[in-house]
Amino acid sequence: MNYRPKLPSLAGAGEGPYVYTWFYLLFAMPPASPTTRLLAQLADEGLLPPAQAAAIADDERMRPFSLHYELRALLYLGITLLTGGVGVLVYQHIDSLGHGVIIGAITLAMAASFAYANRHRAAFTWGEAPRTSTAADYLLLLSCLLFLVLEGYVQVQYGIFGSRYGLVTVLPAALFFYLAYLFDHRGVLSMAITALAAWVGVSVAPLTLFTDGFPSEELSGPGLVLGLALLAAGLASEQLRRKPHFAYTYLLLGSNAALLAALVRLFDGDGSTEGPELLRALLVALLMLGICTVLVWYARRTQSYIFLLLAAGYGYVAFTVVLMVMVGFMNFSEAFIPLLVLYFPLSLAGLIALLINIKKILRIA
Amino acid sequence: MRLKAYPAAWADDEATRAAADRWQRRGLLTPAQQVAIDAVHPISYYRPHNWIRLLLLVATLFGAASGLGFLLLITKADFNPGVYAALVALAAIALLEVLISRSQHYRSGVDNALLYVAVFAWGCLTYELTDNAFSLSFFSINWLLLMLAALLVALVRYADPLVAAVCFIVALWLAAIILMHSQLGRLMLPFGMMAIMGALLLALRQLPARADYYYYRSAGLVLRALGLAGLYLAGNYLVVREGHAALLGAGGPSEQVALAPLFYLFTAGTPVMYIGLGLRRHDRLLLTVGLLTLAFALFTLRYYRSLLPPEIAATLGGLVLLVGALAALRYLRTPRHGLTAEADKAIPPQFNLESLIIAETVHVPAAPEASYQFGGGQSGGGGADGSY
Repeated sequence: MNYRPKLPSLAGAGEGPYVYTWFYLLFAMPPASPTTRLLAQLADEGLLPPAQAAAIADDERMRPFSLHYELRALLYLGITLLTGGVGVLVYQHIDSLGHGVIIGAITLAMAASFAYANRHRAAFTWGEAPRTSTAADYLLLLSCLLFLVLEGYVQVQYGIFGSRYGLVTVLPAALFFYLAYLFDHRGVLSMAITALAAWVGVSVAPLTLFTDGFPSEELSGPGLVLGLALLAAGLASEQLRRKPHFAYTYLLLGSNAALLAALVRLFDGDGSTEGPELLRALLVALLMLGICTVLVWYARRTQSYIFLLLAAGYGYVAFTVVLMVMVGFMNFSEAFIPLLVLYFPLSLAGLIALLINIKKILRIA
Repeated sequence: MRLKAYPAAWADDEATRAAADRWQRRGLLTPAQQVAIDAVHPISYYRPHNWIRLLLLVATLFGAASGLGFLLLITKADFNPGVYAALVALAAIALLEVLISRSQHYRSGVDNALLYVAVFAWGCLTYELTDNAFSLSFFSINWLLLMLAALLVALVRYADPLVAAVCFIVALWLAAIILMHSQLGRLMLPFGMMAIMGALLLALRQLPARADYYYYRSAGLVLRALGLAGLYLAGNYLVVREGHAALLGAGGPSEQVALAPLFYLFTAGTPVMYIGLGLRRHDRLLLTVGLLTLAFALFTLRYYRSLLPPEIAATLGGLVLLVGALAALRYLRTPRHGLTAEADKAIPPQFNLESLIIAETVHVPAAPEASYQFGGGQSGGGGADGSY
């Protein structure tokens, strides 16, 4: 191929392909490799024998390009699109002839993908099971999502759960928990927790604060209970070594739900500076700080810094709100306004200093 | 004063350690060799874990804002806003330089935030000075030039990825304003933009050959991703047609543009080109941008020609993706054509992150309200869609 640049002619649409001459100019030359320089430097420093450096250079050049994560992402996108589309299709033309075909096809697809996943299932262990097949992992997810579609349809069409609507979400939650442990699948565990939260009526999605805002006040009680239960489940799996790698999902979703709910409780008391209000705010803040302590403990134990992020963020907010409530309670807020304005720069500087020295403070290697 | 704020050795040591770690995971180095390499290329800078960096960034931004608030309060906001902006910019830069030289911060979150504060304050200061008649569509050319100058200096000195992205946007904005001053420029806007992106991509090709490649690598990656996306969008039919209509300022539906077949070809052909070359060159960025542009090409098609109802399109598209990905997974189980479906041993798996993505995106229908009744009348068309 001749890569000599040829200017694209803009005169007519028929000459379009010439545009791609530019592409050859832009992309076709093999890029100079900084890795080669790195290897040469390491060989110069006497850290690598030249033969080994050559072997590494060969490996860098010859090793196949891994599409693993791209394919996983496409699989998940495909599953999401498919179940989303099917979830709508199932309610359309509900009495027409083609409808039975759709229901039949969904049932068949669910059974087939579950059968495939089951065939590739590793033997049950309380530890982490080896991943046997990427396809099986995602087909299990697909069959779970198709189960949700079918279950919703059956309830709407035949009302098998009658008016016991809670059953509609508790049933998949229980089933998904069972499958998550049986197949050692963290994705299905996430779905089980999401279904359980839907039964309670709250959302446990990690970004729920940014997508849905604060949960409403009526839901903060159930949210707090659910979050604490999930936290307990996470701690139990870590401490009892029963699927300890599930603890991350339990703790992250649980702590987020519990801390959000507690925050709502903390904020809704403002305005009133009565004694009971203050006591309640202090108790809620204490609870939040307790949860944050658990998160720091887990972060230290497993080096999962996202829990430090949660603990520091929520801990700072809880601390600040309690301080405000107390200042309001003591009724000398007038004199304290300049001090309050100084509080934020100083406390944030303190938070930054704390974070910078976190490894020393927590003695993390 | 040195051109680069951070010692170049920090970036090189970081890259060397990362490469040694990669090679050790792939079994090309013995652990003892990795230890020896790490000892010669130690971490001599401060950079915490990514989540802590994020927290430090946010805390520093809030801290700077509250510090300014305190300053405004004690001076009763008596001075010209430009004075405050200048003060903030100077303080942020001074603190940033001290932090780098004394505490060896290297993209720790704190230094990034201070740089952003300084650039933002500079923007406010020059905005005061250039007497902008602020309208939503245009900033003044003077202000954009002053911004671009500061951003370029910041980019060369600090090599920050976000500064690179903002620099890209400001430069593009400036180019668009200049092009739109003339009738010919307006007509040639898509081609002018494509030429700029092409020039940027060509220039970035020189980066890997430079000795300071690692210092500018993250900024270069961001610029390359934006350049590739921009090159595609500049010739995308939807962008060209709707952009043209917006420039004419006529309300109502947009009209067909000149040279439409050329843009059709570009809209459909570029993603294929990106993906094909990405696979052949083992270039993950090109492949990823190619997949995203392919999605945008499909969106462009559906924007003007709704071939199928959305639910059927989603079902079929999902099925095609699923079956295609499963087939590729099976086909590439043993490496072929230099490609493999196996995970790269050098990259640790992210099952925890995947479970969070599922928790964020999966939709479990909530229990219906007690008063919920599914009437027979709702079975037709979209009604059933909305009520469940």
